[in-house]
Amino acid sequence: MASEAEPHPLGMFECQLCALTAPYSYVGQKPPDTHAVVLLEESYIMKDPFSSDKARFLVLGARCSVCGKLVCVGPDCSLFYSKRVCLPCVQENISAFPQEIQQDVEKRKGASKRPSSHP
Amino acid sequence: MPPPRTREERDHRDRHHHRAPREEEAAEKWDWNCPETRRLLEDVFFRDEDYIRRGSEECQKFWAFFERLQRFQHLKAPRKEEKDPGHPKRGIPALADLPRAYDARYRINLSILGPDPRSCQGPGRRLPPERVSEFRRALLHYLDFAQKQAFGRLAKLQRERAALPIAQYGNRILQTLKEHQVVVVAGDTGCGKSTQVPQYLLAAGFSHVACTQPRRIACISLAKRVGFESLSQYGSQVGYQIRFESTRSAATKIVFLTVGLLLRQIQREPTLPQYQVLIVDEVHERHLHNDFLLGILRRLLPGRPDLKVILMSATINISLFSSYFSHAPVVQVPGRLFPITVVYQPQEAEQTTSKSEKLDPRPFLRVLEAIDNKYPPEERGDLLVFLSGMAEISTVLDAAQAYASLTQRWVVLPLHSALSVADQDKVFDVAPAGVRKCILSTNIAETSVTIDGIRFVVDSGKVKEMSYDPQAKLQRLQEFWISQASAEQRKGRAGRTGPGVCYRLYAESDYDAFAPYPVPEIRRVALDALVLQMKSMSVGDPRTFPFIEPPPPASLETAILYLRDQGALDSSEALTPIGSLLAQLPVDVVIGKMLILGSMFSLAEPVLTIAAALSVQSPFTRSAQSNLDCATARRPLESDQGDPFTLFNVFNAWVQVKSERNKNSRKWCRRRGVEEHRLYEMANLRRQFKELLEDHGLLSGAQAEAPRDSYSRLQQRRERRALHQLKRQHEEGAGRRRKVLRLQEDVGSSDEDHEGPASQRADSVDIQDVKFKLRHNLEQLQAAASSAQDLTRDQLTLLKLVLGRGLYPQLAVPDAFNSGRKDTDQIFHTQAKQGTVLHPTCVFANSPEVLHTQGQEASGREGSQDAKDQMSCRHQLLAFVSLLETNKPYLVNCVCIPALQSLLLFSRSIDTNGDCSRLVADGWLELQLVDSESAVRLLATALQLRARWESALDRQLAQQAQRQRLGQEEEAESPAVSPREMATLSRELLQFMAAKVPYSLRRLTGLEAQNLYVGPQTITTAPSLPGLFGNSTLSPHPTKGGYAVSDFLTYNCLTSDTDLYSECLRSFWTCPHCGLHMPFTPLERIAHENTCPEAPREDPGSEEAASAAPQKASALQRPYHCQLCGEDFLFTPTEVLRHRRQHV
Repeated sequence: MASEAEPHPLGMFECQLCALTAPYSYVGQKPPDTHAVVLLEESYIMKDPFSSDKARFLVLGARCSVCGKLVCVGPDCSLFYSKRVCLPCVQENISAFPQEIQQDVEKRKGASKRPSSHP
Repeated sequence: MPPPRTREERDHRDRHHHRAPREEEAAEKWDWNCPETRRLLEDVFFRDEDYIRRGSEECQKFWAFFERLQRFQHLKAPRKEEKDPGHPKRGIPALADLPRAYDARYRINLSILGPDPRSCQGPGRRLPPERVSEFRRALLHYLDFAQKQAFGRLAKLQRERAALPIAQYGNRILQTLKEHQVVVVAGDTGCGKSTQVPQYLLAAGFSHVACTQPRRIACISLAKRVGFESLSQYGSQVGYQIRFESTRSAATKIVFLTVGLLLRQIQREPTLPQYQVLIVDEVHERHLHNDFLLGILRRLLPGRPDLKVILMSATINISLFSSYFSHAPVVQVPGRLFPITVVYQPQEAEQTTSKSEKLDPRPFLRVLEAIDNKYPPEERGDLLVFLSGMAEISTVLDAAQAYASLTQRWVVLPLHSALSVADQDKVFDVAPAGVRKCILSTNIAETSVTIDGIRFVVDSGKVKEMSYDPQAKLQRLQEFWISQASAEQRKGRAGRTGPGVCYRLYAESDYDAFAPYPVPEIRRVALDALVLQMKSMSVGDPRTFPFIEPPPPASLETAILYLRDQGALDSSEALTPIGSLLAQLPVDVVIGKMLILGSMFSLAEPVLTIAAALSVQSPFTRSAQSNLDCATARRPLESDQGDPFTLFNVFNAWVQVKSERNKNSRKWCRRRGVEEHRLYEMANLRRQFKELLEDHGLLSGAQAEAPRDSYSRLQQRRERRALHQLKRQHEEGAGRRRKVLRLQEDVGSSDEDHEGPASQRADSVDIQDVKFKLRHNLEQLQAAASSAQDLTRDQLTLLKLVLGRGLYPQLAVPDAFNSGRKDTDQIFHTQAKQGTVLHPTCVFANSPEVLHTQGQEASGREGSQDAKDQMSCRHQLLAFVSLLETNKPYLVNCVCIPALQSLLLFSRSIDTNGDCSRLVADGWLELQLVDSESAVRLLATALQLRARWESALDRQLAQQAQRQRLGQEEEAESPAVSPREMATLSRELLQFMAAKVPYSLRRLTGLEAQNLYVGPQTITTAPSLPGLFGNSTLSPHPTKGGYAVSDFLTYNCLTSDTDLYSECLRSFWTCPHCGLHMPFTPLERIAHENTCPEAPREDPGSEEAASAAPQKASALQRPYHCQLCGEDFLFTPTEVLRHRRQHV
């Protein structure tokens, strides 16, 4: 059974903004057990807990490339636009982003007021 | 796996590829939906080493996503041109290199390393490059989408966990546990305690956590849920352990297990060293085992100061649990229930008008009507009706279905434990739009089964509960008012998903008069099994055990007495060898005894099956009772010998069906009205029994498999691998999906409406079948099943003897006038209960003539005698497994056994008159024999056979107990009971059973039973009959009078209205051995024959005679070697004489 080869968690990932916590088993850009995908940032990842396929991974979060905070990939905490930026830093530097991102951030602000039901 | 390609396909593809390079044309004709195009792309991107593999579920999801993306881009494409590309201003250096021109691709944090079609060989080369990049881009978006989706699930899970009422109390629970050894967590349904507390412990670093549940099903579902929530759904941190299944491994940190299983672990390791924390869930339900476990823990805790215990309870009687553990702290968590409106609708008026026993369904229909009138159909919400029992459910079901077919707004479904599993599952299906489910349930839906979407509850206020009458050893199913706690629980079912309404069909004043809590199980049930377990765990005298609430002393005494009678406890109430073995068998004492006895007589295989069959619920479905086709199909499996044999036949036939290829056992069962699930349970139980018997040396271990040729070995391995794969696929497929119910669900004839979907699913996997084949060695089972068909008459007789001895004293005698009664009016009497009837499922209920003695033989010798004093040698008794009282007292699972011989062999007390022509067994059954000489002989043989049987059993068990102490290794030792000894014993038992002695059988009247004995005699003359019953010394019986011959036989203690002096009449007789000629009474004559010094002695080589020392000389029949004809016989002395005369 695959359970024998269960990856041991390296530690607990905790988002410094929303406090989401989950055990991570790898940090880096090359997720273990798959050669087909690389990540474009240093990511905290765990084996996808909702899949029985052990090659499937789930990116939990990464460091904000502006302030260095560890943040989750959730839409209320950070966004990725060629690099990870936490939402507070995005807002502080909103003018550095293209209009599409600016509009998107506006939308998120409104949405995060009510409990979002992300697909 | 790609399907094998046919030639045509390939041709077609080739043609396609020829065209592909001509790009202009391809651009026009390019079709993403073309299967060949897709296959080609899959060949390139979804190889086995890629993130998505072709043919997988993921692959299908991708294409679905792809189609949506295509449509989306098609809509968006024209607008894109109009957009004004903004010019972002430069910000801080960290963001200096952000790409200026926006592209959605920059928002994706991953990249695909897949093969570059331009550089790679193979089919990919022929794809147009821009299509490939388009595909790549879509794939990238898909992976990003999949990441977002999975992360969204994770975040949602955490949000939901955090929103549970108990989430605020997690730290407090952990903190309290740090400071105290025992903590009570009290919270109502929906507060999340069962799923969250184990996870808090896990997060706090505990790694040896056990959580007990009263029900097996809860262990499985909680392990699944907690595994999912703690993100180790596919890991092994969280597992469960129930009777036949375990997902536990060395890596398991939390295990959900049944209370019974934990108690067995304590039995093996009394200090429970394997656990750090023990969670005992649902303590408020007050199950027998839970109450016992609490008592054990209270004693254990001082010796295990490092063991932490969390008791989890609904907010019912919390102080009871807290104070039991020296005022353990309580963490009380509010529940999460939506407001529920309570409507009291007392029904007094109607109840007086209908005097019949049947429930009046009108109040229930009125609620259905009220709901229809008050709530628009588009407002969803189903109805749950609590009724007391199955009869009530079917009454309301009929009425409600009539109403439903009229209004087309309801689907009515029953829910109770006797339904087939498939029918039970229907309550989880969803009703079509505008239609509500109406679930008619017993109290099973109060705690055991949780159905979502219930908005309305109707509470009848009644429950049928099993109560136990220790005097009659009778289980009684009676209707009671429920407790306030149950009423609240029922009400709460309406408020789980939204605000609800609870209609109580009783008055508020009734509610106030309800008992606050239900009666704990320990006050309602037979305590035999509990006492036996307590004894085997050496917890001391059950009478002084510190139960949280003590059981009624009378039930305890009855249980102790019963166990003593059954030989499980000795006179000082210590566990006997048989008792300690019985304690390890997870079955009724009676069935455990059968197993032990059966294995001694080399009847292990059939007894294993029968014991398993008697330990599960009846596999016969109720609906099939009235179905003529089912009855006809079942007929060939029915046995005249009794229900256990019918079950035996059913199981064996089923195993045969299973082992035949391409035969559908599911269909086979359905046709016969058999619930297959029960047969699977039997197979599991049978296997467990077998292992237990092997562990205890009562059954030689599994024979080494016969050497097979490499081909069949390979074949077998291949089959197993295929089965494993099927099982995995099933597990990944997440099992059963909810279906939409049909409006006119024809519940009454569930067979027909199963036929449709089942035959459509003919090629789908029967996962039960797969699991069965993986778990069991079908070949072995089949061998056992086919050997069952070849049981000889003798084996069958022995088997019945084993069952009878196991079931004794659960015996019933047919009423004397049964032969004149209708089939349905047959009456039977047990010692404690008169006028019981056969359960409708009983085989004798359809053919009671099997039990009649009349007409089967000419017994007219005593022509003047009336029916009740019928002389016959074929009187039968019924040995039954249980006595159940519902509207009538029913005998359940009956076997017929020959009366005289069975009573002589099993009875705890046999009393005789002076010439032994009148016998009374256990003070309630009288047997009159015509011939006192044969009566004495039978008695003497019975005495001797019983002693030898008992001694063989004791030695067997004693040796087993010793071996257990010394360790398993010393198997080389010669067996305590030689096979030859058992063979001799079996042969002699069979001869005894075959004896044809006419007698009458009747139940004594109460008055007769009271004045049965002559009582102690003032003048005690020493009996002048040495050796009448072997050389046991006769001593005057202190209470009955007469003489105690053995622990069960009392000679000449019965009062008699016949001539007092008849026994003194002597006639002249000459002893054939010593030639003594003098007047003898019949008894004196037999006594002389037994002790005559000249009579042929028994074979000195027969070892059993030596072992059964006390009864050495008592055998009337002895091996006799005739020197004249050179043959061996088993003869009584008179037979020897007769034989010798032949040679003269």
